[in-house]
Amino acid sequence: MTSARRAAAEAWAFRARVEQEAALRFDRLAAVLAGFDPDSPVPAMMRRAADDERRHTELCARLAESLGNPVALERELDLASIAPRSLDARKAALYETVAACCITETESMATLTTLLAGEPDPEVREVLHAISRDEVVHSRMGWAHLSRESSTAEVAFLGPLVPGMLAGTIDEGLFRPPPADEDPEGLMRLGVLPLAKKREVFLGTLEQVVFPGLEKFGVDPAPARQWLAAAARR
Amino acid sequence: MLFKKLFQVLVLGGAVVGASAGCSQASAQQQGKKPPADAGTSSSSGGGVKGW
Repeated sequence: MTSARRAAAEAWAFRARVEQEAALRFDRLAAVLAGFDPDSPVPAMMRRAADDERRHTELCARLAESLGNPVALERELDLASIAPRSLDARKAALYETVAACCITETESMATLTTLLAGEPDPEVREVLHAISRDEVVHSRMGWAHLSRESSTAEVAFLGPLVPGMLAGTIDEGLFRPPPADEDPEGLMRLGVLPLAKKREVFLGTLEQVVFPGLEKFGVDPAPARQWLAAAARR
Repeated sequence: MLFKKLFQVLVLGGAVVGASAGCSQASAQQQGKKPPADAGTSSSSGGGVKGW
């Protein structure tokens, strides 16, 4: 097996697990948000997003298997909230929505768009295209919820908490050199960003999409910027 | 260009979606309420969500 195929098989298997967790998270958040904000369109969007994520799980798992890495998914997965215990239920739901949608789903959209702009193999392109159609909505629902909350509630508490979200999102290897046997073109064909490109897209998305978005709705991105600068120096 | 477009489509697009229904209301009952026990909150400092 080539290094690109091996790395891509691992990446698609990882994505299958990520998508499975997202389905559980969106199902749970949909119920919580509906209790706080019954007029909001976001809970219905989240229920549909959970169905999307279950479909994505299958797509990613199938691709991982075709690349030689069958995925064993836990059928009875229990997903804990990632919000700090000190937050009340409404703030905890906002925290988790911002982490999952405004940060992670926005980053996923940037990754998908970059991969689709390359020349992925036809089977990979089909999967990337199917997933990207849904991820637009998954990111938007986070910004929609933050926007609604910022109009009636205090959201500034999130500013000092964004570094914790980033720490839980960023892959430890993001700032390290790429593996010696990395095959950038092979990876792109199989739907995976080479490390340098991944770093460029990830940081660009934070600086030019996520941080300005947070700031627009009253969340100070300065603590996140400081955390990121320190993480890059490590 | 990619990032500018993403900002418009996702952030601004999301704000439009959020404004498309009645305003969010802070329910007095819900303010200050702790998450239910089955919400599974397990982190003291908060975490993030792994993605692609």
